Amino acid sequence: MILAALMAVTAAAALVTFLVPDEYAGGAAAAFSALPLVGSLLLWAGFDGRGNALVDGEVAFETVSPWLTLGGYEVSWHVGLDGVSLPLVVLTAVLTTLAIVSAWSAIDERRSQFYGLVLFMETTLIGVFVSLDFLLWFVFWEAVLVPMYLLIGVWGGPRRKYAAIKFFVYTNVASLAMFIGFVALVLAAPVQTFDLPTVAAALRNEQISALLGLSPGALRTAAFAVMFVGFAVKVPVVPFHTWLPDAHVEAPSPVSVLLAGVLLKMGTYALLRYNFTMLPETAAALAVPIAAVAVLSVLYGAMLALAQEDLKRIVAYSSVSSMGYVILGLVAYTLYGVGGATFQMVAHGLISGLMFMAVGVIYHSTHTRMVGDMSGMADRMPVTTGILVAGAFGYMGLPLMAGFAGEFFVFVGSFASTTLPFAPVFTATAMFGIVVVAGYLLLAMQRTLFGPFRLDTDYEVQEAPLRDTVPLAVLLLCIVALGVAPDLLFGMIKDAVVPILQGGGL
Amino acid sequence: MAAFDFAPLIVLLPFAGFLVAVGAALTRPGVLPKGGALPGIAATVGSLLLSAWVALQVLAGDRAAETVYVWSAAPAAGVPELVFSLLLDPLAALMLLVVSLVALLVHVFSLGYMNDEGETGLPRYYAGLGLFTASMLGFVVAGNLLMAFVFFELVGLCSYLLIGFWFREPGPPSAAKKAFLVTRFGDYFFLVGLVGVFATFGTAAFAGPESFPVLAEAVLAGEASARTFGFEARTWFSVLGLLILGGVLGKSAQFPLHTWLPDAMEGPTPVSALIHAATMVAAGVYLVARVYGFYALLPTVLAVIALVGGFTALFAATMCVVKREIKQVLAYSTISQYGYMMLGLGAGGYVAATFHLLTHAMFKALLFLGAGSVIIAMHHDEDMWNMGGLREKMPVTYYTFLAGSLALAGIVPFSGFWSKDEVLYEALIHGLAGSPAVLVAYAMGLLAVLFTGFYTFRMVLLTFHGDPRTETARDPHGVGWSVKAPLVVLGVLATTAGALNAVPVHEVLGFPPEYLHDWLAHDGGQSAFAALTSEHYGELLKTQAGYASAEVSSVAAGLVSLALALVGAGAAVVLYRGPDPDPHTEKLGAARTVLYNNYYQDEYQAWLAESFVRPLARVLDGVDQGVVDGGVNAVSSVSLFSGRRLRYVQTGVVSNYAALLTLGLTALVVAAALVGGWFT
Repeated sequence: MILAALMAVTAAAALVTFLVPDEYAGGAAAAFSALPLVGSLLLWAGFDGRGNALVDGEVAFETVSPWLTLGGYEVSWHVGLDGVSLPLVVLTAVLTTLAIVSAWSAIDERRSQFYGLVLFMETTLIGVFVSLDFLLWFVFWEAVLVPMYLLIGVWGGPRRKYAAIKFFVYTNVASLAMFIGFVALVLAAPVQTFDLPTVAAALRNEQISALLGLSPGALRTAAFAVMFVGFAVKVPVVPFHTWLPDAHVEAPSPVSVLLAGVLLKMGTYALLRYNFTMLPETAAALAVPIAAVAVLSVLYGAMLALAQEDLKRIVAYSSVSSMGYVILGLVAYTLYGVGGATFQMVAHGLISGLMFMAVGVIYHSTHTRMVGDMSGMADRMPVTTGILVAGAFGYMGLPLMAGFAGEFFVFVGSFASTTLPFAPVFTATAMFGIVVVAGYLLLAMQRTLFGPFRLDTDYEVQEAPLRDTVPLAVLLLCIVALGVAPDLLFGMIKDAVVPILQGGGL
Repeated sequence: MAAFDFAPLIVLLPFAGFLVAVGAALTRPGVLPKGGALPGIAATVGSLLLSAWVALQVLAGDRAAETVYVWSAAPAAGVPELVFSLLLDPLAALMLLVVSLVALLVHVFSLGYMNDEGETGLPRYYAGLGLFTASMLGFVVAGNLLMAFVFFELVGLCSYLLIGFWFREPGPPSAAKKAFLVTRFGDYFFLVGLVGVFATFGTAAFAGPESFPVLAEAVLAGEASARTFGFEARTWFSVLGLLILGGVLGKSAQFPLHTWLPDAMEGPTPVSALIHAATMVAAGVYLVARVYGFYALLPTVLAVIALVGGFTALFAATMCVVKREIKQVLAYSTISQYGYMMLGLGAGGYVAATFHLLTHAMFKALLFLGAGSVIIAMHHDEDMWNMGGLREKMPVTYYTFLAGSLALAGIVPFSGFWSKDEVLYEALIHGLAGSPAVLVAYAMGLLAVLFTGFYTFRMVLLTFHGDPRTETARDPHGVGWSVKAPLVVLGVLATTAGALNAVPVHEVLGFPPEYLHDWLAHDGGQSAFAALTSEHYGELLKTQAGYASAEVSSVAAGLVSLALALVGAGAAVVLYRGPDPDPHTEKLGAARTVLYNNYYQDEYQAWLAESFVRPLARVLDGVDQGVVDGGVNAVSSVSLFSGRRLRYVQTGVVSNYAALLTLGLTALVVAAALVGGWFT
């Protein structure tokens, strides 16, 4: 019941925020968002789950109640948390609160609607991560798109309509493909339910029959492929990534924080829950092409980031690059690979959130995001610069920050993979991303932050107010804390990953 | 074991200094007296005293390799846990003393160089120094390769921050970027190697029966197995060894990754002394020494190390010959001297290389601080051709600088003579006994001695001798005690440190004892540490790497290198003595241009970054926008909306979108439900 209460409180907060007058909306939303934040931290503190929610797990905070029956298939309100989903719920709550605070400066029209939509989106995101029934999950999965579409389309930049529609159509088509793929698997499996643990057990035991003329093997492969593509759009994986830079450039900074920080993780989370947990044999059979796509995402995304002149596009493309590591960790199918991929989801959420937020703070002062329009910002905004530099080093995978932990776990896991042929070659190639990321971030920092002060727009630049820098500092502290003590989350992640791997190893 | 219980404080004290300085910088920059220097000095004094205590404990025979912090616990059998552990043995104890001593002296020197010169941003400066000192000490006591990598990268961060300290000028940020990027390129290979070590051995520990060098030895002896990815074991280990070596080449500025170090001279001079001469640059060499039990198994890798070292020693020394700026001479000289250490390690001279690491830290820190003193006196003009005649005006700086120069040039009895001589001696005896690669490396190292003598004395003569060539040199700025005191301490050490290991004297007279050989040879009666002793390494070199020793007198070998050093120094004296020396560089002809341009090493690396990688990125960006995204847009406009309908959709108001979205969502679910046949 506690999860239902968490979501109900968040949804109620969203509704109330819609009604609050604009001038109080920011403060009210921040105060309301403290409820799910505290709630999620309490869940973390009181977490007593063991194992994986889909495979032999003792699910924490579990509720199952029948909801309806569709053509003989049971749909239930089945929610619960395990070591994979809880870190993402905490991430969602933390980033939502900080994004709301960072929006105080950035958003100055239709505020109550903006904050209401953000809180509504938080509700649906939590729903995605706690749902253990496919149809329930799918409702939340789709519902996330609505507030995000509106947040980009109403509060975005000059080309917001194009970006919002592109985001919506692209991800919705992908969802359709994924939906068909999964439903086909359920129809072919000997189950009468959309309950994910039940379906997972059947699929992992390969108890599926032929469907629509496809043999069980072909069906698994086909379903895996369409589901992979469907989720890959969300991640995004090259070559399905082109909606992302457009969406980020047009979205207001606080929305970018949530888009990069949480929404992309829906894709990798779903890949882990569906493709890699339910169809491990197929994943192993397709390991080489998947790893190739992962390596391509890492290097191609990094190269594209190197070519950008807009700070937000740089961070956007570097997200493509970082999410490539997640795919690599998943396909490696080792403890450190899959666990590291999950940890990297959280780490990247925090780091990319910090970067988008910091770029937003700079944009708010300078009214430009173009690298060529400014230099020497460190002179005028020393604190923001300091945090931005720290965040950039986090992105580069500096040890004792969360990004290093996530990447290192993935690298150790994938190098040693026995599932993936030529694992050391794939791993070493992908790892070259750590050089390119240093190249483009150091270059961008040198050009914008250091050197003699210059700004080509007519604005007085001064240090950002505390309400802008405090959320940055909080994120930085989280990043360092997870880098120094990854087991704060990685402990439960490892515990939840062990059951889905058949056999031990790294 | 009392001292060892406090060992973590050696790292944590400077880190606390860092936190104090950061706190001051963020709240009230004026709150700390001396801009934060005093907490830093107090912390490094504490680290130095604790290091000395640890060294005494080690002298008494104690050793320790213990886990201090579990970074990632192992959830299942067969999965390694990732830990931070301390390794306290003679090598680490020695290096702790060096690092904390130089760090302390540099903090003191900074009072004169930074505070008295009225620099702003001092808390930031001392925060950087504090974080660096903590990270470097953490690296020194690291008990496994992962922890070593962690601190290896952190010292790189500090180097970046301190090189770019004067961030308002264009030069320092660019140099900082280059330094981090070039070393990151090396660290990439190190990280691949580190991950490979985990995948191969399941551990990255340095010490104990379950450490990876010991496991590797057992695998080669057929007593254990490891995952070698289809390769023959020694081949695979060599691959791993070479990968780790990538990080070493970057950090220790060895060819071809040396190009960042001369640029790093854009940072404040005390930083150059601490980071880019005595300690951080030593991290690479120290790492090889730390895992020497692994490298000693791999003759191919040893040959590569020796050749890279010998080549770098010679190559960098030639570039020093034409440099105008005093810090540039010292920078290339540093590259060259680390080449000697690599040569020593590759040639099987573990003790010799460690010895040279120790003496070089002393005399090169001294030379950099001396150069800093000169730069203060010259109002931050670094061009030696604007100096001259500073000898009378600044005697303390002159005599200490001269002591450092004699050590650098390798003139008996200054410390550098004994250590460089021993490196060359080891290379000679192992090279003659059937290792041609080492012999070639020896020849290059020997030739570099000539150049070293020459450029060192050219530098001394141009800076301190002759007549002053500018107004500034005629009336230099005075320097205070905070500058002179560190110079005197290091001057004494640079003069006398050779007594630690005077091998040729020992050969002739039978005394003094070879203290350093004794220090590194013993396991203190604890068999768990037997694999970390120079005795064991000597055994491995013989049995695994096939190194034999030719019979050569160390006295004779020493006389040869001394003669070459004297010839080089003499040539410099002949060319550059007198009140108004001539540059003489035009006599070099075309070679001068090549040397001025550093063999075009910087050019090709800059070309690679700016004229190859960035244009490639732009091309890919064009492809991405045109082809990949163009494809997406084409698909959507053909199949989803016609262009006109899309325009219609885009001109609506928000409530329409909400309705449209809701409808779309419902339609999707209903359609899927119909396909699924749920309503039948």
